[in-house]
Amino acid sequence: MLPATAAALAVLSALLAWPVPALLARARWPRRDPLVALVCWQAVGLAGGLSIIGALLVHGLAPWGHSLPEAAWAVATGHPAEAPVRGDHWVTLTLAAVLATELVGVLLLSWVRTTRTRRRHRELLELVVQPASLPDARLLEHPAPVAFCIPGARPLLVLSSGMVAELDDAQLAAVVAHERAHLREHHHLYLLPFVAWEAALPVLPAAARAHAAVRTLVEMRADDVALGSLPGRAPRRTLAQAIVVAADGAGGGGVPIGALAVTGSAVGARVVRLLEPPSPLPTWARVLALLSAGLLLLVPTALLLLPAVL
Amino acid sequence: MASLGDLERAVMDRLWSAEGPLAAAELRDGLAGRGLALTTVHTVLSRLEQKGFVVHDEGRPRRFRARGTRADHAAELMHEVLGQAGDRQAVLARFVGGVDPDEARLLRELLAAAGPDDEPR
Repeated sequence: MLPATAAALAVLSALLAWPVPALLARARWPRRDPLVALVCWQAVGLAGGLSIIGALLVHGLAPWGHSLPEAAWAVATGHPAEAPVRGDHWVTLTLAAVLATELVGVLLLSWVRTTRTRRRHRELLELVVQPASLPDARLLEHPAPVAFCIPGARPLLVLSSGMVAELDDAQLAAVVAHERAHLREHHHLYLLPFVAWEAALPVLPAAARAHAAVRTLVEMRADDVALGSLPGRAPRRTLAQAIVVAADGAGGGGVPIGALAVTGSAVGARVVRLLEPPSPLPTWARVLALLSAGLLLLVPTALLLLPAVL
Repeated sequence: MASLGDLERAVMDRLWSAEGPLAAAELRDGLAGRGLALTTVHTVLSRLEQKGFVVHDEGRPRRFRARGTRADHAAELMHEVLGQAGDRQAVLARFVGGVDPDEARLLRELLAAAGPDDEPR
């Protein structure tokens, strides 16, 4: 039972390390429903980690029992192995430990680092800037048109004076609604694992691709939520104008852009999507996508646990 | 009762507008309207020192001054926000990153091509 389980998990992890994220990143449907796509990405990331570590563990623990729970119990209670333990068993066990430690460690490290930087930013802001009329918003004196939010227990929304000068009231409201959507839906938590995976597995092109895709989807989701709360005749156009003005004024400094084509970058994709909205995903497609995401998590879990019951 | 953040801002405002370094007692007198105890002023000052906004000399009594101007700190924050590398994006959610001039031109054309407020409702 165990070799087949390990092989199945290894195949699954290979699929999730390359073809699946490549397909999902290239697909056209995510921009029609960013939230469903974000759920799918989380499932891909989680199932990928689960299956690669699971495959290594199942192979490494094979001499101790016929299923992972059984073998783990035997090791934990100090039972001797039933079959001879070869070198490859030790190698896969070590790899599993290293990989698990690295993934979890990098995740924790990213968490600590971002929390520390956020606190520093908040301290600077609270000192430098007078509180605005809104309790959670700050106006920063700076000519560049910049808006951002600092997530956390006490979130802050920051607008630069340049942004306020360049946008009219409706566009400013669109920017604020967009940033508030990030905060309300805790988008930084969706991003955190992908930031960490990319840092942990720089050799895996899928990690960078997944991170970029998730980042774009989070922005699109915030655009969608913002549109829902905007008054006026043409909220889509208002938001698109705000994006173009802000992107233009902020300059290209330090932000890598792959392709020059409008549709090639995340900013361009957002503007195109706002001006020419794609039709929303039909219900059956949403259900299908969510079911696939659930299945993706269920398969490695079942492969790891079920042999014990059979 | 003012919040600690309020007091920190008030103390920094005084340090920024002062001619030179100030002792804690001078700061308290300057903030007389708030009726602060000297210990409160010291608490606020040590918090500001921990955060790296204030330094003191070794005189008796110690005299405190701001480490940088208000504009320095604003520039420091802005520099971090604008120069944020990809791996730092999780720190804050910026409305939109910068684009290069070519793309900015394409975006403006796209917006113009979409026509003035002709969005179907």
